[in-house]
Amino acid sequence: MKDYKGQINSIENIAKDVVKITILSALNDCCPGQFISILCPNKIIRRPFSIADFNEKEKTITIFVKYKGEGTKYLQNLNVGDYINFIAPLGHGFKIENKKSLLIGAGIGIAPLLFLKKELDKNNIKNYLISGFKANDEVIKGSDETKIGGSVLDDIEKIIEDKKIELIYSCGPNTVLEKLSKIAKKNNIKTQVALEKVMACSMGVCKGCAIRLFRNNEIINKTVCHDGPVFDACEVMW
Amino acid sequence: MMSNTSNTINTILKNPHNGNSFELKSPLLCASGTFGYADEYEGLVDFNELGAIVTKGITLEKRPGNAGERIFECDFGLINRIGLENIGINDFINEKLPILKQKNINFILNIAGSTLEDYEKLSYIANENDIKALEVNVSCPNVKHGCLEFGLKPDLLFELVKKIRANYKGFLIVKLSPNTTDIKPLAQSAQSAGADCISAINTIRALGVKVNFENNKFNKKFVQGGLSGACIKPISLYMISQIKQVVVIPVIALGGIYNLNDLFEYISVGADAFQVGTANFLYPSIASDLAKALKDFMMKNGFSCFEELKKEILNG
Ligand SMILES: Cc1cc2nc3c(=O)[nH]c(=O)nc-3n(C[C@H](O)[C@H](O)[C@H](O)COP(=O)(O)OP(=O)(O)OC[C@H]3O[C@@H](n4cnc5c(N)ncnc54)[C@H](O)[C@@H]3O)c2cc1C
Ligand SMILES: Cc1cc2nc3c(=O)[nH]c(=O)nc-3n(C[C@H](O)[C@H](O)[C@H](O)COP(=O)(O)O)c2cc1C
Repeated sequence: MKDYKGQINSIENIAKDVVKITILSALNDCCPGQFISILCPNKIIRRPFSIADFNEKEKTITIFVKYKGEGTKYLQNLNVGDYINFIAPLGHGFKIENKKSLLIGAGIGIAPLLFLKKELDKNNIKNYLISGFKANDEVIKGSDETKIGGSVLDDIEKIIEDKKIELIYSCGPNTVLEKLSKIAKKNNIKTQVALEKVMACSMGVCKGCAIRLFRNNEIINKTVCHDGPVFDACEVMW
Repeated sequence: MMSNTSNTINTILKNPHNGNSFELKSPLLCASGTFGYADEYEGLVDFNELGAIVTKGITLEKRPGNAGERIFECDFGLINRIGLENIGINDFINEKLPILKQKNINFILNIAGSTLEDYEKLSYIANENDIKALEVNVSCPNVKHGCLEFGLKPDLLFELVKKIRANYKGFLIVKLSPNTTDIKPLAQSAQSAGADCISAINTIRALGVKVNFENNKFNKKFVQGGLSGACIKPISLYMISQIKQVVVIPVIALGGIYNLNDLFEYISVGADAFQVGTANFLYPSIASDLAKALKDFMMKNGFSCFEELKKEILNG
């Protein structure tokens, strides 16, 4: 983990309120599910973003930024050649297993899953990425199946069965992930979810983003920023 | 002013009453709760430039902290309600202390408790383990029992510090709260009960509120906790100026420190050293960067030591 100066390599609009930013930096190692935290002017704490792609040869990482407020507005208004400061790589990413995998992205949650899919493909691990968006203009490309409107979890049990899924990876709003955790429990299928919580230090020291897990009949505290953001969905106390 | 290339920011905090002292190679410290137990920041900060780090508040037993949202960002500050989540004194002694020792990181152990006995036991353990400096947190606004209760009543604080003093021989710092109408009697109590130093301030009670109008209805969010960051600096400056009217022991300033000017302002009201808190979240290397900036400033402007700079600001 280090403090990096990155230069904007490209920035493009890919969906309503979403830009894709490619950043050139000295970062030379990271894995799917990990994130970076960016210094945004006039903000008291940094802003975290999942790594959506990493190109080792070109020394670039890609993030998708969806507009929310001042921090994301600043990032969306950056120009090619501008510099940003970020700390990376942060957190513990998805634990890749050689199992037939289903990747479920809700909205901007697709970002880390695209990076994960690339890694799974590289390792010849069979996978299927399904993503859901509220409307047509919000769709971010790259999935095997895209759902528009409704819930990305509709028919998910059928997909799990039909495709003989052994492992699920997911990212999206906590409400979707919580619902997914119930499906996972019911179907007894291992599910890794990447969570979001407001974080201050982004490296595990301030305990601002603590969540509770139920593990081995015990309630334990973990930080989303350092121990996560990826957790076993069945352990998370929602 | 004397021009000298070997300028130094070494500083010694010394209690004139008993001669107890704590040596710092730099007046810049990292504040409790914003720097973990130090090892987490390896590679991000230059430990050689830091005077000391103050550990996250440690209690007798390990604590899970508060449930729910713990962080609320406001325009010029941060509200937190962590609720003293920490590993407890035993795990600290067994797991973190060896790392701090091995890496030779100068540190101050910050302790908090619910009862007088908690503080007594903690200070006893600190003494047994030869911990050089202790910061007593009687000012956390985020826990239900104890802690701040001791920091608001001068007689209770006197009794508490007296008990700790009896157990603990090292350098004893009492961290005061701004959540009071008059901080002077509290500072006096701490000093007369045997504290070697005062640090001020801890966070200020505050309520973060967010109201959104969405889908034809108002969504409200409330986060009650302690306010820190740039917006509390004027309050801390005031508190320290008050404290300095009634004590002779050194004072460590904290509250919204981000740049060199902040240091000068705190020196002008009598601060002897500084702790950087919330700013670490934005700039993990800020405390060591500020130490370097301070040295550069002194070099450029012909100050040979930190004492000389302090005198110049206070008397100039
Ligand atoms: C691990 C992680 C990965 C993320 N990955 C992505 C991503 O790939 N793409 C993307 O568009 N968004 C991502 N987010 C969300 C993104 O961080 C927020 O949308 C962003 O911080 C909003 O900042 P703002 O100043 O624009 O908005 P604000 O108006 O300041 O905040 C809007 C909302 O964003 C969230 N937020 C604000 N500050 C923080 C913070 N310091 N930490 C966490 N959440 C915060 C809060 O829910 C807040 O209510 C991720 C969040 C986390 C925790
Ligand atoms: C997230 C967070 C956790 C904190 N935890 C502690 C703590 O455990 N013990 C303590 O004495 N002070 C704690 N503090 C208070 C700080 O040490 C400091 O007094 C305060 O934040 C003011 O300084 P600042 O404006 O530079 O942050 C905490 C502050 C923050 C923001």
